[in-house]
Amino acid sequence: MSDHTTRVLLIEDNPGDADLVRLRMVENQPEVRVECVPRLADALDSLNRETPSLVLLDLNLPDSRGADTFRRIRERAPDVPIVVLSGQDDEALALKAVHLGVQDYLVKGEYSSKHLERAMRYAMGRQSLVRALDMARKQQLEFKNQFLSHVSHELRTPLTCIHQYVTLLLDGLAGPLAPDQADHLKTVLKSVNQLHAMIRDLLEATRAESGKLRVDLRCIALSPLIEQAVAMMRPAAQAKQIGLEIGMDCRIPLVFADPDRIMEVLINLLDNAIKFTPAEGAITVRTYLQEAEPEVAYVSVSDTGRGISPEAKRLIFDRLYQDPDAVDNNRSGLGLGLYICRELIKRHQGNLTVASELSQGSTFTFSVQAYSLAKLLGPVITHQNALRPSFVLVQVNLKPMASPPLGNWPETRELCLDTLRRCVYLDKDLVLPPAGSPGAAETFFVVASTDLESAGIMTTRIYEQLAKMCDLATKASVSITTTAITPAPTPDQTLDDQVKAVADSVNEQILKILGKANR
Amino acid sequence: MAKRKIMLIDDDPDLVRALRLRLRANNFDIVTASDGYSAIAMAQKEHPDLIILDLGLPVGDGFVVLERLQKNNALSGIPVIVLSARDPQDNEARALRTGAAAFFQKPADNEELMNVIRVSLPEGQPAASRLS
Repeated sequence: MSDHTTRVLLIEDNPGDADLVRLRMVENQPEVRVECVPRLADALDSLNRETPSLVLLDLNLPDSRGADTFRRIRERAPDVPIVVLSGQDDEALALKAVHLGVQDYLVKGEYSSKHLERAMRYAMGRQSLVRALDMARKQQLEFKNQFLSHVSHELRTPLTCIHQYVTLLLDGLAGPLAPDQADHLKTVLKSVNQLHAMIRDLLEATRAESGKLRVDLRCIALSPLIEQAVAMMRPAAQAKQIGLEIGMDCRIPLVFADPDRIMEVLINLLDNAIKFTPAEGAITVRTYLQEAEPEVAYVSVSDTGRGISPEAKRLIFDRLYQDPDAVDNNRSGLGLGLYICRELIKRHQGNLTVASELSQGSTFTFSVQAYSLAKLLGPVITHQNALRPSFVLVQVNLKPMASPPLGNWPETRELCLDTLRRCVYLDKDLVLPPAGSPGAAETFFVVASTDLESAGIMTTRIYEQLAKMCDLATKASVSITTTAITPAPTPDQTLDDQVKAVADSVNEQILKILGKANR
Repeated sequence: MAKRKIMLIDDDPDLVRALRLRLRANNFDIVTASDGYSAIAMAQKEHPDLIILDLGLPVGDGFVVLERLQKNNALSGIPVIVLSARDPQDNEARALRTGAAAFFQKPADNEELMNVIRVSLPEGQPAASRLS
């Protein structure tokens, strides 16, 4: 086949229509080779084998109808131009397909061979333009990312120098300072810190745009995080005489989230709330569940501030958006905070939204996925359609020798987790994903389908295996405790409910342990 | 008690001057090097108790220095704290894997840095006095 041959995949179930298209095509375009298939399944097969130059598509086929036909073809061959062959009575559908990304459409019975030839030529031309544009856009994005990442690195060097000398002076290491001088230097330091935050945001926004924002999802409790964030922001709220309250729903389950990132979002939302709430106002952080989706946890930050206009509400999560009425506009940041927050929450399969009434206040709400222990536990704690007889929660504490831990602590933690996984029976025990904040000390949990006595054997095995781990003893101390899990299943419960009861007891126990660790 | 010796490897003379002042105030002796090549020679001569290492250096960047320190029996035991303006997302894990004890992005919090210096220092007498 010569390079100039145009290979057309004609997807048409009516043999008469198919023949007509073929005829029209070869009249004007001898270099065209046509493969005709009558069903979507055949078309998908053909696309798997070879990529055609163009697809001529009847949207209504025996095994697929309407826009869905187009979507399935587009999914399989995203770069191939498509021209729809539409019946006289479904031109509206063809138009809809054009909006969805079809290059053109022809109405059956109303086109000549010339029309067909032109439609095909234009479709291929347009598609190659779209491809080129897309490529250019990607290159541009990549260049912008590299540029911003380079700039933020270069900006850090002089900033570090300023930071170092200012703190040197402030700490009195270059001689005593007059009170006024110290005050002025504190102002410099505040600006240095703001500049630092802006550089950090710039890099984060760049990462968000190129999908490189990193989140490390773990099984965590939300309430200690919220308490910590509120405690951190309380002085700023008190300085403005703003009340800061927490309203926690006690049914909130453990969630699957990155504690550092959730903290970042909470601090950002609280900082904004304090900024836009007048003295004597109030800010409330709430957690809640919605009946319809028990596997999603919601966190909201409400204020009694001046609210956000409908226009601003539409733009507020956009990059570089700044409130034009903000008093300290010139010092508040780059307008990237909420954009980064929303991207971070998206990486948690959640969403960040705002509800607001002018002069009434605003509520920012984000959602994160609940950590469904029952789903994970089901396969290991049941056997032949019945709950296994007993369960033990094994808690492995890893405490680094130095605080902060030295060397590659994250790797040490990973190796320990791997070792644990080798110490359990895969069909009846489960090593849970890392829980709590990835701070210095780490706690791993194993749910074992066994009784306390046999759990002792597992504990010994874990101690032995961890001891074999390369120089772990120089890096961390290990302690293991076991707790029997005793849910009270009632005989009339379904198996799913029994599994859930065990999961709830495990959750409760873990929350208790993590809660203690956080205090 | 003899002072502990810290070696600063960074090519920004202004920053080196400020860090030297701060570390001296914290009762450390300071030696400095400004490129990858002289850093190794200096470490062999001075036997520091700890090294603070920048990554972007002329004549062999920080990773090269880190590797050469690890391969040298006389120097591999010296804890190295990386202090760099580079993005931790791309560099921290690599630095720790190559043998660094800790990674700080510039500008670093002084208190945290001092804290990590203290816990990283090996116990006992300063390295140079043990050798002499």
